[in-house]
Amino acid sequence: MDYLIQIIVSGLTLGSMYALSAVGLSLVWGSFNCLNMAHGSVMALGAYFTLIAVDSIGFPVWVSLPFAMVGGALVGTAVYYLSVHWMLNTRNYETNIIIATFGIGMVMENGLLKIFGGYPYAQPLTVQGVAGLIGNVPVNYRSIVIWVVAAVLMVALGLLLTRTRAGRAIRAVAQNRDGAKLMGVPVARVYVQVLMLASLLAAVSGILISTTLQIVPYMGANPLLKAFIVICLAGLGNILGALYAALLVGLVEASASTLWAPQYGFPVILVVVILALIWRPEGLFGRVMVARQ
Amino acid sequence: MAEALLKVAGVSAGYEQQMVLRDVSFEVPEGSLIALLGPNGHGKSTLLRCLSGLLRPTKGTVELAGKRIDNLPADRIVGHGLVHIPQGDMLFPGMSVYDNLLMGVYLPSARVRFEERLKDIYQLLPRLKERTTQLARTLSGGERRMLALGRGLLTGGRLLMLDEPSLGLAPIVIDQIYEVIADLKRQGRTILLVEENASRIIDMADRIHLLDTGTIVWQGDGRELAAQPQILETYLGG
Repeated sequence: MDYLIQIIVSGLTLGSMYALSAVGLSLVWGSFNCLNMAHGSVMALGAYFTLIAVDSIGFPVWVSLPFAMVGGALVGTAVYYLSVHWMLNTRNYETNIIIATFGIGMVMENGLLKIFGGYPYAQPLTVQGVAGLIGNVPVNYRSIVIWVVAAVLMVALGLLLTRTRAGRAIRAVAQNRDGAKLMGVPVARVYVQVLMLASLLAAVSGILISTTLQIVPYMGANPLLKAFIVICLAGLGNILGALYAALLVGLVEASASTLWAPQYGFPVILVVVILALIWRPEGLFGRVMVARQ
Repeated sequence: MAEALLKVAGVSAGYEQQMVLRDVSFEVPEGSLIALLGPNGHGKSTLLRCLSGLLRPTKGTVELAGKRIDNLPADRIVGHGLVHIPQGDMLFPGMSVYDNLLMGVYLPSARVRFEERLKDIYQLLPRLKERTTQLARTLSGGERRMLALGRGLLTGGRLLMLDEPSLGLAPIVIDQIYEVIADLKRQGRTILLVEENASRIIDMADRIHLLDTGTIVWQGDGRELAAQPQILETYLGG
């Protein structure tokens, strides 16, 4: 029983972190078919922003979260104007944008390496201690904070997308770009908003991940890979599906780590995802595309 | 004749190296129903895309109520009062009927008296009221066309451009759609209607422009067209 509780606690913690990064990646893909390879570097930048806010500027620790969120959103805007803005509607856009965002990500990571060096830093925005026991399994405050932050942001994103004019515009552009233009939606502005939103989520995801590990310039690479796996499993561009798939991947990884050893986590995820995609190539929550011949 | 709401002068356009429209000129007077008739693939839809800003003309000018709009992007043109209901409807399939209608009032200027105008739309297109919570992708072809029409009307534009509203629909549904168009004409709306089927518009249109291989090859009213069956025979195959 304790094994099961441990798997659920660890799985939800991992899944919550993956969800924040995967949902942002999925939102960007769903809106303008951009596989944003700079997403992982934005996660790392988010973690460094808290460090800058607390250590360099001297802000109180709690201010570092909104500081990093705003920083992440601004980086998202920069990614748009450095790549998507120039490449959208050009030939081979979907391939070129992968290379362009990969390049931007490398510049960000090497910039961090140049400024901060390769030394690992501890995340200042963290809480320590055990909140209590479920069975014999300790549940620490850090996990609870991760669950709450992820849940609040997911609910806020859901409400934004379904209940607000800006959110409806984002969904409309994702579903039919020309149709949205004909309703007066300024599509380019919506793309900027989407990248801001996705990068904000990535920044928070980076902060949460760095509370369990450490802050290093290349810390975004592994979460980016996991986020990519999650959105493939969910079905590309399916935001709600990405949330469910992230939790599923978190639980699978936690199961393998708990039942065997931590190093089995990633291979088991890959096996599960490969089997799932053989069964449903469109993703667990994706829709089959039917093309008229 | 009322003053022209839309003036199209010498418009040429195409896709990459392929010119589709050549030197197209016509006017749409306020309160009239003007029809663009022509065979499939001869530039009717491309012309509407040019007027609504989805495609930039390579030559010529487009004026709406005296203002040039050919250099504006599509999202700005709709704000000037030009509503394009394209072929294929361009609905938002994963959104409910109500959310699709809400997109019709995305622009602040379109939100004036929204509830009242939505009631008018439901009166004109009662099927939409029965389907408010249903996803657009689950609607039938006729319902989709009605939703596109309702959404377009909510934008509050002065000129309604309808691209083949009868395409792919059952005859009974086409009758319903054309009843709605006739209603709109009676209300004094200005309509530019693209159609392939001459019999549908011959009695309804104030003026008909026949588009063939990207140029206007004939223009006149329904009576004149009916009196010259050789024109229909030549260009539309009877």
